[in-house]
Amino acid sequence: MDFDLTADEHAFRDEVCAFLTAELTEAVWRTERDPDEQGQWRREFTKAFRRKLGAAGYIGMGWPAAYGGGGKSRVYQTIFAEEMEYHRAPGLDRSITYVPNALLAFGTDAQKAEFLPRIARGELSWFVGYSEPEAGSDLANLKARAVPDGSDFVVTGQKAFSSEAHMAEYCWLAARTGPVSPKHRGISMFIVDMQSPGIRIDRYPTLAGWTHHAVYFDAVRVPDAHLVGEIDRGWSVIMGAIDFERAALAAPGLVAFQLDRLLAHAREQGRLDDPVLGDQLARLATEAEGARLMSYWIASLHAHGEMPQFETSMAVLCKRETARLFDAAGLEMLGAFAPLRAGSPGACFDGDIEAEYRDHLYFQFAAGGFDITRNVIAHRGLGLPR
Amino acid sequence: MDITLTKEADSLRSTALAFAQHALTHDRIRALEGSDGGFEPDVWRDMATMGWSGCVFPLEMGGAGLGLFELALIVEACGQAALPSPMFASVVEAGMLLLESGVERHRAAWVPRIAAGDAILTTAVFEPGNAELETVATTATPLPGGYRIDGTKTFVRDAATARAIVTLARCPDSPDGLALLLVPSGLRGVRRQRLSSSGGEALWEVAFDGVSVPATALVTEPGQALAALDRLLARGACLKAAELVGIGQAALDLTVAYAKTRVQFERPLGSFQAVQHHCATMYRDLRVCRLLMWEAAARLAAGQPAQREVAMAKAKTSDAIPALTRTAHQIHGAIAYYRDYPLELYYTRAVAAAAAYGNATYHRRALAHLLAHDLDTFRGDIHHGLPVRPR
Repeated sequence: MDFDLTADEHAFRDEVCAFLTAELTEAVWRTERDPDEQGQWRREFTKAFRRKLGAAGYIGMGWPAAYGGGGKSRVYQTIFAEEMEYHRAPGLDRSITYVPNALLAFGTDAQKAEFLPRIARGELSWFVGYSEPEAGSDLANLKARAVPDGSDFVVTGQKAFSSEAHMAEYCWLAARTGPVSPKHRGISMFIVDMQSPGIRIDRYPTLAGWTHHAVYFDAVRVPDAHLVGEIDRGWSVIMGAIDFERAALAAPGLVAFQLDRLLAHAREQGRLDDPVLGDQLARLATEAEGARLMSYWIASLHAHGEMPQFETSMAVLCKRETARLFDAAGLEMLGAFAPLRAGSPGACFDGDIEAEYRDHLYFQFAAGGFDITRNVIAHRGLGLPR
Repeated sequence: MDITLTKEADSLRSTALAFAQHALTHDRIRALEGSDGGFEPDVWRDMATMGWSGCVFPLEMGGAGLGLFELALIVEACGQAALPSPMFASVVEAGMLLLESGVERHRAAWVPRIAAGDAILTTAVFEPGNAELETVATTATPLPGGYRIDGTKTFVRDAATARAIVTLARCPDSPDGLALLLVPSGLRGVRRQRLSSSGGEALWEVAFDGVSVPATALVTEPGQALAALDRLLARGACLKAAELVGIGQAALDLTVAYAKTRVQFERPLGSFQAVQHHCATMYRDLRVCRLLMWEAAARLAAGQPAQREVAMAKAKTSDAIPALTRTAHQIHGAIAYYRDYPLELYYTRAVAAAAAYGNATYHRRALAHLLAHDLDTFRGDIHHGLPVRPR
């Protein structure tokens, strides 16, 4: 048991911090922001940045050496994710956290050879084609169909809430290949080239200001070779891979950044000795520390070769609920100036806190919403009956 | 960074819990509440035989040579079993104080006996009307060859069974203005009155009325009392947090077991989502509490600065664990409102443990003090020193 970073872990954190500080300069922040994109970075910048992450060796650092990975423990991956969040850097998403780990666990040798080197170089953006209009929290209810036809499958259906589909080279798609009942049987996983004929993308503005997507597949042909795992056994791929994404989502860097921003604001305003604010910040800092420990606890379990499951969901819940506490507390701290948006006279932090208050709303429902996560903890963690 | 229990620590925790949960029946635990002794001497003897009373003391003093982290696991297990014992008074408070800060005479005389469970010692620090230790009114007046002690102390644990009381007093002789004096409990002028308190501890008010002790009663070297006191308060807060974690675990376990078996509307209670979400929140909060407590205990055990971590652990557990026990009762409904259901043991122990060694408000005030005067410490390890992007 050791709650401190080792000298080597510390050095790694400093290295990532220095890398991100050098890349995300003031000039970059002035020129590369785009309110229309999730994460508010221009899509070309996000793609270019991901290639830089690849060149620096960060994307594959946790993979086995056989696939060009660095074999670094999950503690290092958590440090990396924490720094990325703290610096609000682009590119830490499913394309590097979820898809490659799912491929490593479930892909064929040919699929690994085809995709992992390109993922490691940061060349690929992926969109995860899970959610549909009738399949959100109840994911197994999905209706998109993949029908065998010669050496291909033919995919028809609609995906919804499709983050970054507009910039993706590939889709990590769940589609129905078998019976509708029981509904989690009969789902298969595919890799779909987004350049394939028959794909159409619609745009929907979100209340957070950025644009979300829906994707329509109209008789899109997917070669057999891009079926991942066994046919009709996609549900176990989805469930087996989901913890990889969760572990990255649980990183505590966002919360650390939110705390530092409020501390800087309080200091600037000469309010560090305000007793009411002191009580609020003491509570927030304690919650932030709890979220940080949760995240490194999960990383430690992985580093010991254990496979935490519901615990990872619990860490995500803890981090995201803490972030939401900070969102609300941040507005409270700005007082009358809270609602002012970017560019407005009097806006603090260029309206970021109000923008995040809207943006982070998705924490409460996306990738395992707060209520669904509590179901998971109750069933898988406490063994309560369904 | 490695936030997992070692195999040895995990096995110590399981062993301690298995013993603690079977040591006494709930009826016997209830019967001991309010009694003068407050614990079962045979059980304490067994705990000593298993090495718990000595766990934190060095081998050459008859201890097991373990650290404060292991002690926290044992205290947690006792909390989880609601098992009363003089562990807190004799080991956490007086024993470790003597070990860390005591002069050789007292350390050599008492630590081996405390480690062996042969003698129980306690401390008298807090005073009536002064719940947060802002001033010390008890005085140690220098006399030729000794001191005269006058004043009243409260929340003295196990005063009826303690051989001696390590007593905090103002003392004009001392460079820091304070003295810790070892006062045998039977001395003339020492009077005690049992407090009637929520929870399972035997707590006493102890009055010192012109009590004479020799100069050799001083427990620490001159000028070392304040530092010893600071360590005592940090240790006490951290181990009360450990006790609260045990209390929370017991309340959650009872609740989940009940929710799985109690049937209403032809379904187990635990199949209702409203109940599941309560339980999930309890579990999440308990995990956060446990991690904060582990961090505080690990830092104290390693002799690292732990002001921030101890305050966070005690503030969070003192808020979250009593809240958890309230939810536990809500899920149980009327059944747990009766004394013969064990949940009430934890409901009341959470109140007492949250109040002891600084409640949530006290420790948030300590954090707010750091915020105002020592921002780097308040911020902790993940300090980037980055300017927040001005824009």
